[in-house]
Amino acid sequence: MLIKESKCTGCGTCVIYCPVQAITIIENKAVINRDLCVECNVCYQNADCPGKAIKPERLKWPRVIRNPFSSVVATHKLTGVPGRGTEEMKTNDITNRFEHAELGVSIELGRPGVGTLLKHVEYFTLKLSKIGVEYEKDSPVTALLIDDQGHVNEEVKNERVLSAIIEFKIPSERLPEILRVIEKADEELHTVFTVGIVSRVMSDGTIPVIKTLEEQGFDVKPNAKINIGLGKRKAKEGTLT
Amino acid sequence: MTHSLHRIGAVNDLKGDYVVLACLAKGINRESPEARQSIIKIAKIFKGHDPINLIPEFTWTISPVVTAAFNNISVVKKVIQALKKEDLGISIVISGLISEVQTAMKDVGLQMHTVHLSLGTFGKKELLPTEEEILEITTMCGHHCISPQSVLHQLERIKNGKTTAEKAAEKLSKPCVCGIFNTERATSLLKKLVK
Repeated sequence: MLIKESKCTGCGTCVIYCPVQAITIIENKAVINRDLCVECNVCYQNADCPGKAIKPERLKWPRVIRNPFSSVVATHKLTGVPGRGTEEMKTNDITNRFEHAELGVSIELGRPGVGTLLKHVEYFTLKLSKIGVEYEKDSPVTALLIDDQGHVNEEVKNERVLSAIIEFKIPSERLPEILRVIEKADEELHTVFTVGIVSRVMSDGTIPVIKTLEEQGFDVKPNAKINIGLGKRKAKEGTLT
Repeated sequence: MTHSLHRIGAVNDLKGDYVVLACLAKGINRESPEARQSIIKIAKIFKGHDPINLIPEFTWTISPVVTAAFNNISVVKKVIQALKKEDLGISIVISGLISEVQTAMKDVGLQMHTVHLSLGTFGKKELLPTEEEILEITTMCGHHCISPQSVLHQLERIKNGKTTAEKAAEKLSKPCVCGIFNTERATSLLKKLVK
């Protein structure tokens, strides 16, 4: 994002809107810290700049990667989905991506509202790849991995984004290994991250993984995303199955 | 997507905060004209049940996802009933208190299929705003497009009599283009913060 100095009135509205505090007023002019700016476009779309000084720039590689990881309306070319993640469990009643005895895990770096350098993705992926997780193929983060060891493309490592979600699945019994990685990252990582666990619900309505998580010392929040099972895959003859 | 998973708040507070979402499946029904019509039908069902917020109407024909925020489980139950009756075959996800949603679903004869549980936030939490209520407001935009400074700015305006909590909540909701920011809950939180 660019702010044209000659047009800036120094009103400071863009400073208020910036989710990552990348804009400051210096000598009555708004100045963007380009290292901190995640190219989310929130200032451009919401600040109603009186001097029309805010202007999106034509981003070049590798900086261009900041935009789809930060803007809501930008669509990742890989997933074809606006936003930073995938459909994950939202369509699981149709895709059956997560079966019984499997768990999905989402680790979202930089959330809430802090942002992250993409090099922090590698902190996790090197450890997770060693464990042997199955990364979500449609995830934009998976597209950044250049080998089976979990190395992130060197060219993008210093790019800053609003958040990046590592999505993968594991056999249920491997959960404790993943939780140990999360505990270690909690102490060592230089940004914040949120963690989500995807699980099928048993036919009696129970969710056994909650007990496992609590036994492992993790606090499961009372609110969740719940797929209510109304999705149906259409059969060839045109009926719903 | 909505990232409605990590909305922060006490149980009593979350009783007034539900997000309902319909999503087309890539490679299965996303390109289907019939499914596209179903998405519009679902958005109309959302609209007909007095949502607190709703994804803008112009996106209904182009987005693979439609979303709405509601302020109580009884309304959500009615939405589920209406969706079940229509039997459109589109995946529906509800974000909210597990126990409340499960009970509502049982009442209408449905069972949870898959859950996405939140374990919360980890790492360098000293980088987060110190006031919990500010995070409760900002996390209601799943893409985190609402800055903590904008909440502080609106609080100052309320304190100085330049705006009301209701108007401030509306203003704060602007960057949340998915329509899942719960302005009613934000109003309550702003009033609490002003005190």
